[in-house]
Amino acid sequence: MAGATQALLERLEERARRLRSRAALRAWEYRQRDLAHGVWYKLRRVLADAEQAFAIDESDAQQLIDVGCVVEPVGQALAAPMQIFFVEESLLSRLPSRRRVALHLNAEMLAAQRLALVPFP
Amino acid sequence: MEFRQRLVATVQVIRHVMKTPGVVVAGSEVPNFMSPFGGPLPVVSLDIDIAVPVESVAALKAHLRELKGLRPSDEEPSVWVPDGSVPDLIEVNFIGRDSDVTEIGDCRVFDDPDLPMMVFGALSLLRPGEVACIEGVDVPLPRPAGLALEKLLSDRTGIKGQRDLLVALAILERFGPGDLDELISQFATLSLDLRHAVLSNATVLSLLEGLPGMPDPVRSRHHVHALLTALEAKVA
Repeated sequence: MAGATQALLERLEERARRLRSRAALRAWEYRQRDLAHGVWYKLRRVLADAEQAFAIDESDAQQLIDVGCVVEPVGQALAAPMQIFFVEESLLSRLPSRRRVALHLNAEMLAAQRLALVPFP
Repeated sequence: MEFRQRLVATVQVIRHVMKTPGVVVAGSEVPNFMSPFGGPLPVVSLDIDIAVPVESVAALKAHLRELKGLRPSDEEPSVWVPDGSVPDLIEVNFIGRDSDVTEIGDCRVFDDPDLPMMVFGALSLLRPGEVACIEGVDVPLPRPAGLALEKLLSDRTGIKGQRDLLVALAILERFGPGDLDELISQFATLSLDLRHAVLSNATVLSLLEGLPGMPDPVRSRHHVHALLTALEAKVA
């Protein structure tokens, strides 16, 4: 085994410094959790409770409001706002515009202005 | 050559290294070794990470002097790469554990003239677990709960971060009785910002798309949902 050179040790020390600074960033992110930066966590947290997700149109969203479904607050914090509802599967079948979307935080999901989520049992 | 054969060939080459006191396999290979080894391997990766207590480095070096088929890389002596004398091996990375470096997120350099290596505070979450027998070689593994938590604390971004979370998922899928309770108990010892990091990463995992050679995160979303619910109950 070859002896470690000073240059190698300096490189490793620099890497260790970078990794420690990432830990400090994580503490900053925690402090941001209730501010604008925390919206993304809250959105992911809501989506993590969903077994299935469906994009719906304005008329179906209004129908959900009319039957007392609650609009999830996190959607209103987005720009543009997104109406997000949790619905039972039985109610879902009464939403003719429903179109299933994959539960990934991608362009298709973020383009949906209204989402009906079916919770895990 | 199939990945399984490369993995087995490498394990055979490092069989004496595995006898170093306190070493455990610490990375993405653990779910492979947890599985019944005859079935499909959940994770395809290009290296084996071995966590070494710094007090065992002298014993490790004695084993490494006898090792055939791998050599320290020119750039980083803690990464041992195939030297071509034994076909179809994969890299072996040595990373340090130090009982004096226990703060998660802390990282030091273990300054050894022959085997300098990074020491990670997050590895303090690992506890010695079962010893898997892989084609006649004893492979010491960490307890699943600690390794899953360490992976869920990943602060890496991009594909590396995704792979860390998918390894956590592969371990969660293989949890036995008591493992979830153990993870929750370890989670409860973390600071608030680290608990939040675990929850945040779990939500990321819940929404990941699949990667080749890794467990399918879509199929296993219910595992992540159950984990989140259990961890949040602990936080409350």
